[in-house]
Amino acid sequence: MKRPFLSLLSCTLGFLATAPHSLAIDAKGLLRVNTTIQTYSISQPWELTPPKRRRGLGAVLESGKILTTAEMAANSTYIEFESADGTHTVPATVIAIDYETNLALLGPEEGANADWILKLGTLKTNGPVGIGDEVDIWQLEDNGDAVRTVGTVRSVDLLSTFASGHYFLSYEVKASMQSATSSYTLPITLNGNLLGILTSYNSKDQISDVVAPEIVKIFLDDVKDGNYEGFPSLGIATVLTEDSNFRKWLGLKDEQGGLYVSRVLPGSGADESGLKKGDVILTVDGHPIDRRGYYKDESYGRLFWSHLVRGSRKVGERLSLVILREGKEQTLKAVLRRPPPKLIPSHMYDKAPPFLIKGGLVFQELTRSYLEAFGKEWQSRAPLNLLDALNNPEDYEEGRDRLVFLSRVIRTPATIGYDRVANLIVTEANGQKVTDMNSLVTALKDPKDGLHSIRIDDIPYVLYLDPQLSDSVDKTLLERGLPSLQRLP
Amino acid sequence: MTRFLLLLGSIALFHPLTLAQDAATPPKNADNIYKSVVRIEVATQVADYRTPWNSGRFGGGTGSGFLIGPNRFLTNAHVVSDAHRILITKRGSAQKHPARVIHVAHDCDLAILEVEDSVPFEKLEYLELGGVPALESQVRVIGYPVGGDRISVTRGVVSRIDFRPYSHSRVDSHLVVQIDAAINPGNSGGPVLQDGKVVGVAFQGLRQADNTGYMIPTPVINRFLKDVGDGNYDKYVDLGITEFPLFNPAMRKALNVPENGLGVMIASVMPTGPCDGLMEPGDVLISIDGSPIDNAGNIEVQSEKVVLHEAVERKFAGDKVKLEFLRSGEKKDLTITLKAFPHSRIYAVRYGERPRFIFFAGLVFQPLDFNLYSAHQFKSPRVRKIFQNYVRDAIFKDREDVVVLTRVESDHLTSFITGFNGTVLDEINGTKVKNLQQAYDLLYAENHPEFITLKCNGIDRPIVIPSAEVEAANKRIMQTNGIFRSYNLGDSRPAAK
Repeated sequence: MKRPFLSLLSCTLGFLATAPHSLAIDAKGLLRVNTTIQTYSISQPWELTPPKRRRGLGAVLESGKILTTAEMAANSTYIEFESADGTHTVPATVIAIDYETNLALLGPEEGANADWILKLGTLKTNGPVGIGDEVDIWQLEDNGDAVRTVGTVRSVDLLSTFASGHYFLSYEVKASMQSATSSYTLPITLNGNLLGILTSYNSKDQISDVVAPEIVKIFLDDVKDGNYEGFPSLGIATVLTEDSNFRKWLGLKDEQGGLYVSRVLPGSGADESGLKKGDVILTVDGHPIDRRGYYKDESYGRLFWSHLVRGSRKVGERLSLVILREGKEQTLKAVLRRPPPKLIPSHMYDKAPPFLIKGGLVFQELTRSYLEAFGKEWQSRAPLNLLDALNNPEDYEEGRDRLVFLSRVIRTPATIGYDRVANLIVTEANGQKVTDMNSLVTALKDPKDGLHSIRIDDIPYVLYLDPQLSDSVDKTLLERGLPSLQRLP
Repeated sequence: MTRFLLLLGSIALFHPLTLAQDAATPPKNADNIYKSVVRIEVATQVADYRTPWNSGRFGGGTGSGFLIGPNRFLTNAHVVSDAHRILITKRGSAQKHPARVIHVAHDCDLAILEVEDSVPFEKLEYLELGGVPALESQVRVIGYPVGGDRISVTRGVVSRIDFRPYSHSRVDSHLVVQIDAAINPGNSGGPVLQDGKVVGVAFQGLRQADNTGYMIPTPVINRFLKDVGDGNYDKYVDLGITEFPLFNPAMRKALNVPENGLGVMIASVMPTGPCDGLMEPGDVLISIDGSPIDNAGNIEVQSEKVVLHEAVERKFAGDKVKLEFLRSGEKKDLTITLKAFPHSRIYAVRYGERPRFIFFAGLVFQPLDFNLYSAHQFKSPRVRKIFQNYVRDAIFKDREDVVVLTRVESDHLTSFITGFNGTVLDEINGTKVKNLQQAYDLLYAENHPEFITLKCNGIDRPIVIPSAEVEAANKRIMQTNGIFRSYNLGDSRPAAK
């Protein structure tokens, strides 16, 4: 895996003495972006974890807005812009953020004096470049001088650089960079125009990943009307058709490629178009797809097919698909949409996780991030029932909008004997089906026969709470320093 | 695991020992007792579940045992597990006498051996079984542990009597007696004595603690001897229920349990177990065979608190148990008939079995059990879930064997069959897979369609194998990969080819 630029930051001090050798280069449109990031505790979702600071660079666009990565801005509690030499600072806000492509557009806080930003000069955006072209990577020294490193575009690929599972067009740029301050993210230019934003640098291979100009363009176009929609999706899962026996069974000819559709998300554009599990996609918008899922792109050569959907189109646009179904070719038209909401969201960036505490029982809505917090080996260490729900949401979707689970038990007089119960999926409370956190809160207002009952998916299957006791316990918990007993979505 | 098996030892020679003595001198008949304690030398062959067609690993170890009757030696099951040659030596003799296992009980870690030629052992005394030693009373452990060649005697006091897991099978818990005498590898199977009578069989220790040895006490030994009295070991029986302690007042109120400290909640009832259909989750068990059950699920036996399952420990299949329970506050009486519950053995370590498997067109299929699970370290949450819930969700009703695709051997036929390793085989040509034998019959059926399709759990596309290529692929891959047999289906059909 490629590491974010953080490793360079940590050795900054060692380089300070030698840094000012380079001649100052006049760089326009560069400023420092300093952010403070805080996420919510996984085990105690009512509190924030200790703050982390990130320092990167932003590119000043013609609109006066600043482009940087989503990773810089996500979960930020404070953002500020700083001029290269440190003379000016101004608090900043997020105008639009896209976690999937790892892009964020920021602006100075309303009413703050930010005239100095436009005096830095602005950067026009640039069109795509070809493989082998040289580009400039910009860094700022501690003294405010700009450092330009020339790199070569080595290849183009679809990469997921922030929110997991979302792949977008990226340049891989080969360049040997030095350590410098504010290097968490960097702008890349060509002939003085902005090309893309660096998302990571691997010092061993000296390869940087850069969000491609096409993606930057779609992002900025989408922001213009003040209503950011995000990147589209078709809503399918596919399997490659390399296996010759599998191909014969599907009835694919040797000269055909093909992508086997293994899953169609309900409510997606693919679903509406009539695409079904078992279909084989032969072409997308006229581009034949090969057996490994690649098509021939006019500028970049072979690219994975998903770029035709996610990186080339906007929400609401149509896509035409030629498919093979039961040995016959058919053409389908799909309208691209944002992916339908998931039962178990992959992330909760910039959202405080909903929770509820009742008598010491702590309930949360399951997210992928919760499971990832079980460490590097989370796929084998996280609770099996919750992992199963993440991997097979279709088994849990019926009658649910979110998966509510009992994440832990705080030892209180109301939870005697429940000490070891943790990470169990909640199905019912007081006889009412639990479909999300709100429904649990509603159900727990109405105890039956003088008791709360909460049905869960494993031993002991039902937990009971005394309403008076749990209310008084909740009061004590507040006195003990809990800021609140619930946070609703 | 916290416990270790006391098996591997060093070679022991037999000479009279000068015994270290404390206040008491050795009992008068000490020498006769020593003579009846034998050294057991075992050559083992441990199956390799990763390459089920191979012979497995050859190895060996030593343990102890003692004479309890005419040509009947008692020892631990783990001393003789996976053995293909057993030799017994008498104290003070260099002769190794070939022996064989008559009965083995992996669930309580006991075994009975006999020697082929019993004549040299005819003059020896049979050790007599005593009772359960009292706390703080002194005991002697005799055997052939590591650290020397001659017989070893250690003394200790009984420090705890408890219901604890037996590490040999990994899943069974029975009565154990903890002593502070050193029990070391090689001691396993040796007698623990008090007043000249056997009060236990030394069998396991605790790795992270000093001076904690465990012995199998006589109630467990007597049950084993009674069980094999008819010539067969029928195994332990189980109530087939899981309970949840009723410590919570709101839970007791919800279940209408009086505040008298009695009653434990039934959290689950094992499908097809002895209580299936008779009790249900949420019932509150208040007594078993007349012994009141407290909120923690304990009963009192000889003024000691033990878990309620202890009440069926000495019972056998077909025996009856009286239960008293509350359902919605209403008292009910129930008499259940105990029976063995073989499906739960999927979680027990298996010994002395040749692994079952099918080889088919470069794919290796094996039935899921603990040995397979631990050998392959399955990562897929799907397989782990099926394994974990096999008994609870009665998966065994539809799948007597959970057949897992464990290997895909390299060949041009299989080169793009990736991501299927460690998944459960659901269907063959649209037919649900029930057990390994049926899977074999389906895979090697006479009249196949042009393509054989295999559906694996959680994988969105089938494996497709052209029928016409199976025979040649089998021959080719088996030859290259040194797979010299294409199946072992267990008892129902001898391993062949």
